[in-house]
Amino acid sequence: MLARFLDWCDARTGYRAALHHLLDERLPGGTGWAFTLGSVILLLLGVQFLSGFVLAMYYVPSPLLAYDSVRYVMRDLPMGSVVRGLHVWGASFLVVAAVAHMLRAFLHGAYKAPRELTWLSGLAALLVILGFALSGYLLPWDQKAYWATTVTINVARGAPLVGEWLASGLRGGPELGALTLGRWYAAHVFLLPAVLLAFAVAHLFLMRRHGISGPLRPKPGPATPFFPWHVMKDTVVMAVVFASLLTLAYFVRAPLDEMANPADASYVPRPEWYFLSLFQLLKYFPGPAEPVATQLIPGLAVGFLALLPFLDRHPERRPWARARLPYSVGMAVLAAGVAGLTGLGLRDRPEGKAANDWGLLPVAGLELATGENSVCARCHVAGGPAAPMERTSLRRDEEWLLNHMTDPVAIAPGVRTAEDRAPRSAMGRFGAQAVVAYLRRRHAGIEPPPLEPGVRLAAMTYASTCVVCHRVSGEGGTLGPDLTAVGQRRDAAEIQAIIEDASLVYGESSMPRFKDKLTGAQIEALAGYFAGRK
Amino acid sequence: MIEQPARISPSSLPENPRRTFLVRVIQGVHTTIGATLAFVLGGAALAPGLTRRERLWLSAGDLSALRDGEPRAVTLRVARQDGATEAVDRRVVFLVRSGDGGVRALDSTCTHLGCRTRVNADALQIECPCHGGVYDLEGRVVAGPPPRPLDELPTRVEGTRILVQV
Ligand code: HEM
Ligand code: FES
Repeated sequence: MLARFLDWCDARTGYRAALHHLLDERLPGGTGWAFTLGSVILLLLGVQFLSGFVLAMYYVPSPLLAYDSVRYVMRDLPMGSVVRGLHVWGASFLVVAAVAHMLRAFLHGAYKAPRELTWLSGLAALLVILGFALSGYLLPWDQKAYWATTVTINVARGAPLVGEWLASGLRGGPELGALTLGRWYAAHVFLLPAVLLAFAVAHLFLMRRHGISGPLRPKPGPATPFFPWHVMKDTVVMAVVFASLLTLAYFVRAPLDEMANPADASYVPRPEWYFLSLFQLLKYFPGPAEPVATQLIPGLAVGFLALLPFLDRHPERRPWARARLPYSVGMAVLAAGVAGLTGLGLRDRPEGKAANDWGLLPVAGLELATGENSVCARCHVAGGPAAPMERTSLRRDEEWLLNHMTDPVAIAPGVRTAEDRAPRSAMGRFGAQAVVAYLRRRHAGIEPPPLEPGVRLAAMTYASTCVVCHRVSGEGGTLGPDLTAVGQRRDAAEIQAIIEDASLVYGESSMPRFKDKLTGAQIEALAGYFAGRK
Repeated sequence: MIEQPARISPSSLPENPRRTFLVRVIQGVHTTIGATLAFVLGGAALAPGLTRRERLWLSAGDLSALRDGEPRAVTLRVARQDGATEAVDRRVVFLVRSGDGGVRALDSTCTHLGCRTRVNADALQIECPCHGGVYDLEGRVVAGPPPRPLDELPTRVEGTRILVQV
C-alpha cells in the first residue's frame, strides 16, 4: 500500500532520482570529521527554529509582559525551562559551530575559485546568526537585555553619516521601550529566519554545485559516496552535540536577570559572551577614539573576511604555503584577537551587584513581605483580592510600588474597608524599597540565602538604619563606604567597635554613635554578618 | 501516460552488510533526536491546553432574590492564571428555584455549539440566538439543534447564601 503510494508520488515528482542524486554525491577520499560541522549547524538551526516556535507561543513582545511571559515559561510551563534552555544555550552552540565551520573552510582554502560565493553566502549567514543572537537577548526584557540594547543603539548612533538615522530605526521611538521591543521581536521571528533560510539555501546549493573542496591531500582511490559513509560521521557528531545541548538545557537554568529597570544605576551591563570581545575593545578606545573600536576594527575584520576570496587567488590551498602565508597570518591575528579579547572580557569582572547575591535589603524585604507580621498577606493570598506574592508582577514603576507598599489601601481600589478611613501606613519608605528589592530577586528566580536568625535580625536592622548611608550589593545610600565586601577589610570585632562608636575608631566621623540606639543583639548580628561578606 | 522511471534502489548497489548496518544506525540516531525534540517541545506546546482549572465554590447571591419559576441570570467572576497574565472569566449561570426549596444552577452555554443563551421572560423559556435552540426553564431541549439539556452546576445553600461550583 505504502509502496504503491510512493511509486505514485515518484512517477509524478521523480523524488527517488533526486534523493539518489543528493545522497550518492561522491566525496573525495579522506573527507573526514572536520567536514561534519555543516551538518551540526543545520541540526542546531532546526533546534533553534523549533524551540523558538514553542517560545513564541508563550512570549509576549511588550515591556509590560515580556519578562513575566519568560518567567511563566521558566516556572509554570511543563518542560518550559528545557525549551528555553535549548534555545538560549543552542544560540551559543550555534555561534561556536558557525565560527568553527568558517575556520575549517579557511584552513582548507575553501573560498578559492570557484567557491567565492559559497564563502560569501556562509559569511552572510554567520552575520545573520549574530543578528539573531543580538535581537534575541533583548526579548526577555531583563536588566541585561535593556542595557545591552541601550549600548548597541548608542554604538549604532556613532556610525558616520547614517548614525542618527540608524539609531532611530533600531529604537523605533524616542526612547527604548515597547516600540523597540516590537521591531526587534518582528526581526527575530520573521525577517531573520527568512534571510537566514535564503543564505543557507544558497550556500548549500553552491556547495553541491562545486562539490566540497575536500582534504588538502585526498586519499588515493575511488571517491566514496556521501551516503552512508560520510553521513555516518555527520550523524555521530550531531548525536554528541545534541546530547550535550540537551544535558545543558536540562541541568543548567538559562539565565534571567532582574526585570529591566531604567532607573537602576548600580547595574553594570555586560553583553553575552559572543559580543564580549567587541565590548572589551571599547575599553581601550575611550572618548574620540571610540569609532576605532565600534567601526574601524570590526569593519576591517568583516572586510578582510569578505574580500579574502578576491585577494588570495593563488590556487595553493595549504595554509602554511608561501602564497597563502599573509592571509593565514591575518586570520590568526583576527582569531587570536577575538579569543584574547573575549578572555580578557571574561576576566574583567566589573564591581557591582553580583547576580546571585541577595545582599541585605532583599532579605529584609522577604521578612517584611512574607514574615509572620506581614501586612501584605492581608490581601495577597490565594483567593484574596490580590494575587499571592509569588504571582505578582512588577509592571508598575518603582514610585507606584513604593507608594502602594507604604499605603496599600489608598492605591488598590476596592480594598479599603469602612473602617480604614484614613490611610494606614503599612511600612516605611526603606521597608518598601526592601520589598521591591526582594520581589526583583524572587522574580528573577534567585533562591534566597539560608536565613539564620542572625542574618534576619541584621537585615531588619540594616533596612531601618544603615541602608540610609551604606550600600550592599547595589542597594543603599552612598554617604558611607560600600559594605559589599567589608569582610575583606575588617573582622567582626572591628566592625562591632565602629557600629558602637565610629568616632572612637576614626576620630572625627559623620557616622552616628549606635551604642545606645541599637540593642547589643542587633549590633552583634550586624557585625557577624558583615564580617562574613568577603 | 506517465512515464514510470526505472526504480533505482540502494539494492541496485552490491549488497554490503556494513553499509546496511550504517544505514540502520543513521536512521536510529535521527529518529531518536527527532523523538526527543518532539517529546520536549510537544510537551511544552500541549501541556497548558490539557490542564483544567480547579473547581471553586463561588457566591451567587442571596436566596431571597429568587422567586419561584423565574430564572435569574447571574454573572460569576472567576480569576485564573492565563499564561503570563491573570484573567477574569465571566460565567453566566441561570439560577432557578426548584419546588423543594433548593436551587438549581444552569450553565448558560448552549449545548449545541457553545453560544450564550438567554432567558426570554415573556415566553418563559431559554433561547439560543445562534441556531434557534430553545430550552425550557428546567434546561430541557424544547426545539432546535441542541443535543442535550443545558449543563447543570452543583449548588449549595449556606444560610441564605447560594454557592455555585464552577
Ligand atoms: C528561527 C527561528 C527563531 C524563532 C522563532 C525564535 C524565537 C525566539 C523567542 C520568541 C525568544 C524570546 C523568548 C525568550 O527569551 O526566552 C527568543 C530569544 C532568543 N533567541 Fe531566538 N528564535 C529563533 C532563532 C534564533 C537563532 C537562530 C538564534 C541564534 C543565534 C537565536 C537566539 C536567541 C537568543 C540568544 C534569545 C534570548 C534568550 C534569553 O536570554 O531568554 N534565536 N527567540
Ligand atoms: S449554538 Fe445554540 S443553537 Fe447552535
